[in-house]
Amino acid sequence: MKTGYYSRLAVDGIRKNRRLYLPYLLTCVLMVAMFYILSYLSRASFMAHIGGGSGLAWVMHLGSFVIAVFSVFFLFYTNSFLIRRRKKEFGLFNILGMDKRSISRILFRESLIVALVALAFGLGVGIALSKMAELALVNLVEGDITFDFTIPKQSVLLSLVIYGALFLLIFLNAVRQVRFSKPIELMRSENFGEKPPKANWLFGLAGFALLGAAYYIAVSIENPIAALSWFFIAVLMVIAATYLIFIAGSVLLCRILQKNKGYYYNKKHFVSVSSMVYRMKRNGAGLASICILLTMVLVMISSTTCLYYGKEDSLKTRYPRDISVTVNFTQLTPENDGKIAALRETVDRLAGTYNADMLRHVDYREAEISGSLEEGGYLEVDVRLVDAVDFGKLVTVHFVPLEDYTRMYGKTLALGEGEAAAFGLKKVEIPESITIAGKSIRIVETLDALDVDGLNTAEMLTHIFLIVPDLDRALEGLLDLVDYNGNRMLQFGWHYAFDTDIEPAAQIRLVQEVYAAVRAEKDKDPSAIRSYYSASREADRQDFYSMYGGLFFLGLMLSIVFLVAAVLMIYYKQISEGYEDQSRFDIMQKVGMTKPDIRKSINSQMLTVFFLPIVFAVLHLAFAFPMIRKLLLLFNLNNVPLLIFTTAISILVFSAFYAVVYRITSNAYFSIVSDAKAE
Amino acid sequence: MSLLEVKGLKKVYKTRLGGASVEALRNVSFSVEEGEYVAIMGESGSGKTTLLNILAALDKPTAGTVLLDGKDFAHIKESAVAQFRRDNLGFVFQDFNLLDTFSIEDNIYLPLVLAGKSYAEMKKRLAPIAEQLGIGDILKKYPYEVSGGQKQRAAVARALITSPRIVLADEPTGALDSKSTDELLRLFGEINRRGQTILMVTHSMKAASHALRVLFIRDGEVFHQIYRGESTNEQLYQKISDTLTLLAQGGDRR
Repeated sequence: MKTGYYSRLAVDGIRKNRRLYLPYLLTCVLMVAMFYILSYLSRASFMAHIGGGSGLAWVMHLGSFVIAVFSVFFLFYTNSFLIRRRKKEFGLFNILGMDKRSISRILFRESLIVALVALAFGLGVGIALSKMAELALVNLVEGDITFDFTIPKQSVLLSLVIYGALFLLIFLNAVRQVRFSKPIELMRSENFGEKPPKANWLFGLAGFALLGAAYYIAVSIENPIAALSWFFIAVLMVIAATYLIFIAGSVLLCRILQKNKGYYYNKKHFVSVSSMVYRMKRNGAGLASICILLTMVLVMISSTTCLYYGKEDSLKTRYPRDISVTVNFTQLTPENDGKIAALRETVDRLAGTYNADMLRHVDYREAEISGSLEEGGYLEVDVRLVDAVDFGKLVTVHFVPLEDYTRMYGKTLALGEGEAAAFGLKKVEIPESITIAGKSIRIVETLDALDVDGLNTAEMLTHIFLIVPDLDRALEGLLDLVDYNGNRMLQFGWHYAFDTDIEPAAQIRLVQEVYAAVRAEKDKDPSAIRSYYSASREADRQDFYSMYGGLFFLGLMLSIVFLVAAVLMIYYKQISEGYEDQSRFDIMQKVGMTKPDIRKSINSQMLTVFFLPIVFAVLHLAFAFPMIRKLLLLFNLNNVPLLIFTTAISILVFSAFYAVVYRITSNAYFSIVSDAKAE
Repeated sequence: MSLLEVKGLKKVYKTRLGGASVEALRNVSFSVEEGEYVAIMGESGSGKTTLLNILAALDKPTAGTVLLDGKDFAHIKESAVAQFRRDNLGFVFQDFNLLDTFSIEDNIYLPLVLAGKSYAEMKKRLAPIAEQLGIGDILKKYPYEVSGGQKQRAAVARALITSPRIVLADEPTGALDSKSTDELLRLFGEINRRGQTILMVTHSMKAASHALRVLFIRDGEVFHQIYRGESTNEQLYQKISDTLTLLAQGGDRR
């Protein structure tokens, strides 16, 4: 009987606080469902049958882990709002003679109900949507659809164990909070006097300065490699700046506005400005977190979308031709030139057996050397001599004989002794001349395009190709250069690539045969050939699609979770403030403020609180744009219009979703505030 | 013509569910002359607060009229009520009702800011009031930093700064200690002597004994009234005490 009583109180507690409980429950359901879906996908059977499947499974696995960790923080955070509201009620129970053990019993039943509902509905929704999610993912990675429906035991168990434990922890935390507070504190926990925040000039200004600096870094970085290393520094700076600005900067701004009597003592600004100070003091940190969360999501979704829709671009950049083969020689001697001719003949013959037309040949020999490209085109090949290795300066210089260029393009270049035509990858700035080990080559012409090995394009480091009239003359003096292991620094190779008109499956077989042929050649003379590799675009296409499709899918899933989280945080903030604002609303009305006035003032404050994070997030994103662009270059993606498009779409979708939630929240807020009038 | 005329005021509350209705005011009539200091006394549930809410235009009567300067409250449009209240009435509440987000000074300015007055004028108006109420040195402080008596004096300043026709005070001493109570009542007397009309609702005999006239309300009707005449505070206190005793014994109107 007594048990029934506690249960009834627990159910009552949830029902009466449904404005707070419902969003919490929905979030719990969402988290459990998302976790289950990702966990399910990491075990989905179709993965075994597609290229890059193991990587894809790993991405999904990682995703489920991220969701789990995020759930811990987020559910604890939202639950703290619930507890704060409930404390008053528990305080009353306590004063009426209910001991804390009994309160804990009510809490336990409440938590049990929440946990059961969340787990049951979460798993239910998760299982119901899992096949749909799988089909979506299969579609994204362009794999083969399977129609079997499974419910992997491990995924179900894992979800139950992880979230069961999490709900238990949340319950214990709530009990702890109730246990260790006096009844009178419980009653009062919602409204205790608050000091007005003081403007902190140092932190406020530091925030703006830091943000400016971070933005400057973001827009001024030219080199993709440098972008990579600076990106994290800029991110950290932006995070710090966001917190400083939201916490200290906003208060500072309000204080400055208050100093301006003409502005401050105006009906339109008086109430808004002074209550904003309090709002920002209480919400600054929360809003900054929301802003960073939103920025993260925006960056994630716009870049993964861009990657996904640009996957064909990336693939073509990485594999400029259908079939390619590269053979590295110890040296380019006339004898090895003979080997090259023989290999070329073998490859052509193999292609002939497939009746393949060989199109758009790429065929060149090269010698390459790496070093740090210093001021004035000086290439320091001994990196030990460079004070601090700057990855942005590392460059590989390729020497390609003019003879091969002429063969490929059917035209020649007017190059004299000691002169070269240059082509740079990754938008490197080509110096007027390049000096290696005291030997200078003058660059008389810059080429806009050159078909080179896709592997060079895919690499993070910069490559410069020099077309030289006489390879042997150009390399004079460089042959003897050795690194500290005594290995020759110059490397020699032959690259041969072409498009075909045959079926993908045939292409894959052809490239396997080519590979076998090169291996046979190496086995004949192991000392001449150092290494070799062959590649087929079609063979790796599925890997590419799996990876990019998987990232895109995960980006979408995580975006949904993070976005819901951010929005819910704001919802809870506004609701809990609504309860606090009731009395203020009353006083203002008594003193002669009209209802529309109050509504307007509250509205403007809510708008600010609501949209400040997304405005800053979009601003962050705008400044991060050049950096993201450069980072995508590292993924072989250079499609600015696509990136602009995906970014704009992401922002639009976000804002629309945000606006809807704003409507819901502001309605809930006003109904709370006007409740006070009815009482 | 009286400054404030209340005629046949009636207020019936209906419970939200079911048809039960409660009559808070049955038939209240009285008038307040310019420069008067009237205390309205009554026990809890006698209808004091309902009356004050109607006088403050926060609530509408079921029947009867309230005339201020001959103008009927009921005929003021909903949108103009707030402005009417701001222009004609000053409020002092039991729990001060100061906004904790404002400094004392800004709290006092609030009605003027709402009325669209310039900062220079607000400052000019505040100076004499602050001096009279002795709050000049706490203007920059925040409500949580000052004592209850100081808060109430700040609230009085807020009520006075609009130069209202009537100051309505709802249990102004209810939350104060005896020293602050004496101080506040002395200030009310002083303000009244300077010509300010005051209407105070209270159940404190001490507070009522400072007024020039005391109205007693019982069961939603004006039961009795006492004029100070030539009495001192102490004598008036005694008269009030006698009346309350009579009321408590359930006596009929004299």
